[in-house]
Amino acid sequence: MFAFLRKNQIILSSCFCLLLSLYILNAHARGQLKNDPIGPILLWLLRPMQLGTHAVTGWFSDVQKEFGTLSGFKTENERLRNRVQQLEAERNKLLEIEATNRRLQQLLDFRAQLPPGSVTATIIANSASTWFQSCLLDKGSSDGVGKGMAAVTPLGVVGQVISTAARSAKVLLITDPNSGVDVLVQRTRARGIVSGSLEQKTVMKYVKRSEDIQVGDRLITTGLDGVFPKGLMVGTVTKVQKQNLGLFQYIELVPAVSLSQTEEVLVVKVETNQTKN
Amino acid sequence: MKLSILFFAVGLILVLLQTTLLHLLPLGPIVPDFVLVLCVYWGLYHPTVGAVLASFLLGYSVDVVSSPILGLNAFAMSMVFLVVHLSSRSIWLHDPMASAIVVLLASLVKGAALALLSAIFLSVESFWIGASRYIIMEALIAAALAPIVFALLRRGQSYVERFRVTA
Repeated sequence: MFAFLRKNQIILSSCFCLLLSLYILNAHARGQLKNDPIGPILLWLLRPMQLGTHAVTGWFSDVQKEFGTLSGFKTENERLRNRVQQLEAERNKLLEIEATNRRLQQLLDFRAQLPPGSVTATIIANSASTWFQSCLLDKGSSDGVGKGMAAVTPLGVVGQVISTAARSAKVLLITDPNSGVDVLVQRTRARGIVSGSLEQKTVMKYVKRSEDIQVGDRLITTGLDGVFPKGLMVGTVTKVQKQNLGLFQYIELVPAVSLSQTEEVLVVKVETNQTKN
Repeated sequence: MKLSILFFAVGLILVLLQTTLLHLLPLGPIVPDFVLVLCVYWGLYHPTVGAVLASFLLGYSVDVVSSPILGLNAFAMSMVFLVVHLSSRSIWLHDPMASAIVVLLASLVKGAALALLSAIFLSVESFWIGASRYIIMEALIAAALAPIVFALLRRGQSYVERFRVTA
């Protein structure tokens, strides 16, 4: 008997432990295990060590959290950076839309002041040569744009349509040496012709020496050339030079419309007495 | 007997680790079961009555600190010890891979025992789906840890035995 027990002590003790476990399990499940003899001792043994370890793990956890927070900050920072870029792009888009809207609204309001039959067009291309100052519009003869019509904006005069195609039109800008706009000085009513030059300057020609022209004077269209409506802004005088010889003064001006910043224009046909008749 | 007490103390420290530090590992709800690895080691290399009782007590300790019902892990660890001991006569363990496989299988045995007892004594919805996932994951992690733990325990045991001899 003892030999058997001794030989199989491990198996027997294991089976005993298994049965004991099942008994405890069953009793506990049924609520019959009121007093746990071993649990409190084990907890008493473990508790001080657990408190100490808890302090250490708390420190580890804080370090881990800080590291995680930093990593999280990095990820969050990256995410926010991308979002800011996205929002910046959207904002730029919206600002652009707002600016376009404002411009078009201005054009619309301005259009109401002009003779009927005006056409809104967008500048789609600029001159390919430095010798000539022109631009292309996205509207042509099929849209009602005709040769000789004026291209204007609420800020002032842009140029004159010199040729058209079915869906496009070429505009000679006032800064081109071949252009000519009949203008008068708003202050003194002195008349002249505004034209461009090969020196990339816009000048007012054929102004008598006796005329009183000063820097800052505003130049407006006379409406007498049959191209541009009357009273539109052409430019502001920036230089006045009276030469010792000659009949005329030398006047430089800056155009009212910055052609590099213009996107939409109104193409206007001026009705003269001749056309009316 | 003294070695068994020493190993039981080591087991308690492992229980302590399992309830504290090991939760910092990024393994989700899975906690590496060092207690299981220790029981397997006892079953293979230190099959004594003291080791049986130590396995039972360690399982009970886990129940005390973790389980909703006492006796679950006590039964599971005792079962693991018995199965490993009975199998140890047929197993030749001489490399870490073999010990990992044994621990893997032992972990599956433990998982199966826990699942069976939980199904009988506890009522959890969708139990088997979650249980099967945990059993597999626990088994894999335990198997991965086994070679390291075994090496440390072997070293510790040889150190203790050398200390006993010199003493």
